[in-house]
Amino acid sequence: MDRRKMLRFLGVSPALFTGFPAGAEKTRAGVSPANGNGDGAITVMNPAIAGKLATRVPLVPPLDSLQDKTIYMINLSWEGPDAANYFYGAMTEWLDKHYSGVKTIVKVTAEGMFGSDPAILKEIIANKADAAIVGVAG
Amino acid sequence: MGRWAKQIEMQCKIPAIGIASSNIVHYATGYNFKYNNGMPIRYVSVPFPFTGQPRVVDVGYVTGKDMLTGQPLMTAVINALTNPLTAEEKISGAPPEEAVEPRFLPPDSEENLRVMFDDKEWTDFNSIILPTEKRVTAMLKGTSHKPDEVIKTINITGGARQLTVEKVAINAVMAGASPEHFPVILALATQAPFGNSTSSMANMVVISGPIRNRLKFNCGTNAMGPYNRSNAVVGRAFTLMSKTAGDLRNDVNAWETLGNTMQYNNMCYGENEEGLPEGWDPLHVQMGFKPTDNVLTVGTGWSSIASVGASQSIYPTHFLMRDYMSSFCASGSAATIVMDPTVAGLLKDTHGFSTKAQLSEWFSQNITKTAASYWGNGVIQSTAVPFALQGLEPYASWRKLPDDALIKPFTNAKAIHVVVAGGKVQTMWFVTDFGIRRGVLIDDWA
Repeated sequence: MDRRKMLRFLGVSPALFTGFPAGAEKTRAGVSPANGNGDGAITVMNPAIAGKLATRVPLVPPLDSLQDKTIYMINLSWEGPDAANYFYGAMTEWLDKHYSGVKTIVKVTAEGMFGSDPAILKEIIANKADAAIVGVAG
Repeated sequence: MGRWAKQIEMQCKIPAIGIASSNIVHYATGYNFKYNNGMPIRYVSVPFPFTGQPRVVDVGYVTGKDMLTGQPLMTAVINALTNPLTAEEKISGAPPEEAVEPRFLPPDSEENLRVMFDDKEWTDFNSIILPTEKRVTAMLKGTSHKPDEVIKTINITGGARQLTVEKVAINAVMAGASPEHFPVILALATQAPFGNSTSSMANMVVISGPIRNRLKFNCGTNAMGPYNRSNAVVGRAFTLMSKTAGDLRNDVNAWETLGNTMQYNNMCYGENEEGLPEGWDPLHVQMGFKPTDNVLTVGTGWSSIASVGASQSIYPTHFLMRDYMSSFCASGSAATIVMDPTVAGLLKDTHGFSTKAQLSEWFSQNITKTAASYWGNGVIQSTAVPFALQGLEPYASWRKLPDDALIKPFTNAKAIHVVVAGGKVQTMWFVTDFGIRRGVLIDDWA
């Protein structure tokens, strides 16, 4: 078989094997390497855009203790709900053992980690919950 | 997650803790806090990775250490809920204004400026054309739009940066474009920034309409290769404007774990409209544009699989496409197939697909995968499980299926797009999992 045809058959450009030297760069018309002003210093425009800083929001005051508190554990379904459910289950067991007065409620968000779930927020308020844990991401 | 914790603190007026791996906490307490959230969320940290681990590992993290403080994790949880607030945690109100970015950078040598552009991560680390005022002014002559017109506000990772026509012109110069490319690049700016996700996304830019020929976009041989200036500079401009306007910096707020080499050029090419079989409409016409409209379409996805060789008569081409596409996650039912005109001809003349839509429908009805494979994908877990938990079909039923049950994951044939490109050199094709957005009229930016 003709060598060029064989290379083409294999999906390889015949030019790859012809030993072309790396040619001198061709300069595009109208584009000079720099727009110098004589002393080598040039001025260019800034592509960056200033970012607006977020408005600071303080944390709400902490609990005095965990005694007899209700804690919501919010499962965001980060890459799926299973891992956080295992984790929250173990966390609940630990709290039951060490803080028997603590009540925990696990909730899986309706729209995963990207969405929102107003129903959960309403439920937290209605149940007068004391704290929440959100996660688990990673 | 920080958004959720903030919502709970503000709306429910109770303390909330975010639990995440340390890499996510690093982002959440750094860039995200500064530009997006503004609340110093109480975080406790587990080792990475958390998802995908055996149950015993995730359970074990509860009795392990908090990765932030080194304390036992549950001690850190209790402390986070009960420790008095620090002065930093009580700050409220508008922050001091971020320093305004000057329109011009301080004069310097070309060499130093190149180093600075790279250090700031404003480039793709290939050489750029430095954006002198003269070059930017010349670029701006490519459009009737005013330099200070705001095209969109970029807020993908916070910062609410206003992308103006002038900023896009600066990026267009940097990418090596000419003024005649500028309307195309402005249309592309409406879609900026490109996909930025831990899952290492990529993009596709398809040019449609007469402008392909006027600006000599390559739609034929090597349409997707490094052999054409228009394809190269427009695709590259998307990368540069995404990085500069999105302030995307490695390990700061760009955290694709592998990254994606397709982000260098964003698969920019023109559809070979002249090579379409009769009855197969160009991509933009399928979207409702006129054939004479000039349109730019962006797709976003992750993967591309090639046919690796010519189509074979012993196994129909669309069968092999179907087989390869069954490996995609089918998120949003999205796929885009790019095929040589000769393949399109085979599919129409030999296999009877008289329109692109018929072929898309066939894929929707004939691609199958096991339930285990479908649910085994992290993006599907993040996006489709919530649907299933809400009882939405078919996801709710699919979630109850045994692992080896076959499902048809491409439920929406209209999300499966077909684009024809290539030079009739080989009967080959790519199948991709790219989801195509609505096209943008380039003519609006002339």
